[in-house]
Amino acid sequence: MDQRKRGWMQMKQILLITDGCSNVGESPVMAAALARQEGIVVNVIGIVDYGTIGELGSLEIAEIAKAGGGMSQLSGTRKLAQTMQMLTRKTVVQTIQHAVNKELKTILGNSSVVDLPPDQRSQVVEVIDELSENSPLDVALLIDASASMKPKLAAVEEAIRDMMLSLGARQGASRMAVFHFPGAHGGEDAVLDLDWTDDLGQARSIFQRLAMRGATPTGPAILKVMDFFRYGTLEGHGSKKWLEEPGRGEGILGDYVV
Amino acid sequence: MTTSSKGSLAPGTVVTGRWKGRRYAIQRLLGQGANGVVYLVKQVDSAKLYALKMGFDTVDIQSEVNVLKALQRQRYRRGVTGRDISYLVEVDDYSFQGREIPFYVMRYVKGEPLRAFLAKRGGAWLGIAGLHLLRQLRQLHESGWVFGDLKPENVLVSPYGEVELIDYGGVSGIGRSVKQFTEWYDRGYWGAGGRTAEPSYDWFSFAVVCIHLLAEGPLKRAATQLPQTRSLNDLTAILRAEPALAPFREWLERALAGRFKDTAEACELWRELATAAFGRRRKPKGQTPRWMLGAFAVSLTLLVCALYLTLRF
Repeated sequence: MDQRKRGWMQMKQILLITDGCSNVGESPVMAAALARQEGIVVNVIGIVDYGTIGELGSLEIAEIAKAGGGMSQLSGTRKLAQTMQMLTRKTVVQTIQHAVNKELKTILGNSSVVDLPPDQRSQVVEVIDELSENSPLDVALLIDASASMKPKLAAVEEAIRDMMLSLGARQGASRMAVFHFPGAHGGEDAVLDLDWTDDLGQARSIFQRLAMRGATPTGPAILKVMDFFRYGTLEGHGSKKWLEEPGRGEGILGDYVV
Repeated sequence: MTTSSKGSLAPGTVVTGRWKGRRYAIQRLLGQGANGVVYLVKQVDSAKLYALKMGFDTVDIQSEVNVLKALQRQRYRRGVTGRDISYLVEVDDYSFQGREIPFYVMRYVKGEPLRAFLAKRGGAWLGIAGLHLLRQLRQLHESGWVFGDLKPENVLVSPYGEVELIDYGGVSGIGRSVKQFTEWYDRGYWGAGGRTAEPSYDWFSFAVVCIHLLAEGPLKRAATQLPQTRSLNDLTAILRAEPALAPFREWLERALAGRFKDTAEACELWRELATAAFGRRRKPKGQTPRWMLGAFAVSLTLLVCALYLTLRF
């Protein structure tokens, strides 16, 4: 199901950037576990500029990433760009590695890359590198924009631009979408700031319609982004996007329409 | 899958390869790269010294080894003989506390990091070390690779300015994305271009390395300003203002703008400028310094006195 034409794998990641605990709605850990079931890896960065993120916060961050099959990392805003890229790149390699390990198991029995003697390992890793560089990648950034994150958003935006630069250098098609949460009113769990793009080009600011609310509905926001991966819109099962984007949209749908 | 061992191994520990069984006794820690820790080791049977890199992650380290192997094959095929062929000595795993830690053994090169070297020998040596470095890069580029993570720490210099690049973790095939980079030396950081691996990516890093070594203060100021205002112009402004950079200004400007035909051309221009700078510095020394004339006069007088005294009695 996750295998696509020409052997490349379509990779999907959610990168959550937050500085605290969720406090509204469904559990983010459960949401991340669901995402993983749909083939979306969830990574989490906890921002720790002023004071600490709290024991509860860092525990939750680690749990979300674990449930989402991804990685978590605490980072200051200065290191944010680097951390985002490191997590994304490592996750790509790991996703490929898991798939390759699965193949190896079917061919060689109980064996993974690590168990191979160096010469064979060398060839397998060449394949992993090749796939990591060329497989199409969609990364949805989900930014916690609750009151305490406000002073950090300029740095977050800068890091997003920097990350686009790295994604753009990949040989495989790479796209990014940006969301923030919470929205302006209670029912809005996540707001789309930037639709799938492979170029940020213009200097226009990314975050609009920022609302200053204390709530942090991390779980519901993750579920929203999953909808977006699935339907290309935040409006649930609307079929609008199917007509609008015949080119690239098809590829993504292909994963699900089996 | 991730085999991480951040705690370093104590000197005297013997690392035995899982596949080939060769034994290496750890002498001391040499340094740490993004992908692993490097030790100075002594091969137990031959008592030869090597550098041994223990990786944090099997795939990352293998990917690095693949690059080294490919380079070695290419050099071999092109018939380049000499020291570069034996860079990579062995690849194996080490079973440690129930985990397999991947490692590779390479030639041990004595030398010091570029910055320490220049601090000791003087900035003028940048001309020679830089030329050696550019020639290394040229070889790499002509074989289809880009170094990527070029920074002063990754350049080891021998006492006479010969250069060895260490940490091949950032080496990327031309046309791919740069695997690993450090912000100051990354052209994306300065809004001066993308992160696709191409020779011009290394030229840019090389130029920032030079600026860093000869004009650290201004570079630091430019790098720490707001990211929205940081740009290539800041680097060009430093180039124009710093007298220490004057001898290489033309080269550095072209490198920052990516305006070389290829790395061979970049090498050639650097060589010309370095030679010219050397000539300029030597000129005033061409005339006999005044103190030497004085000393000569004094010694002549002394000789005359001595002769006079000896002959008188």
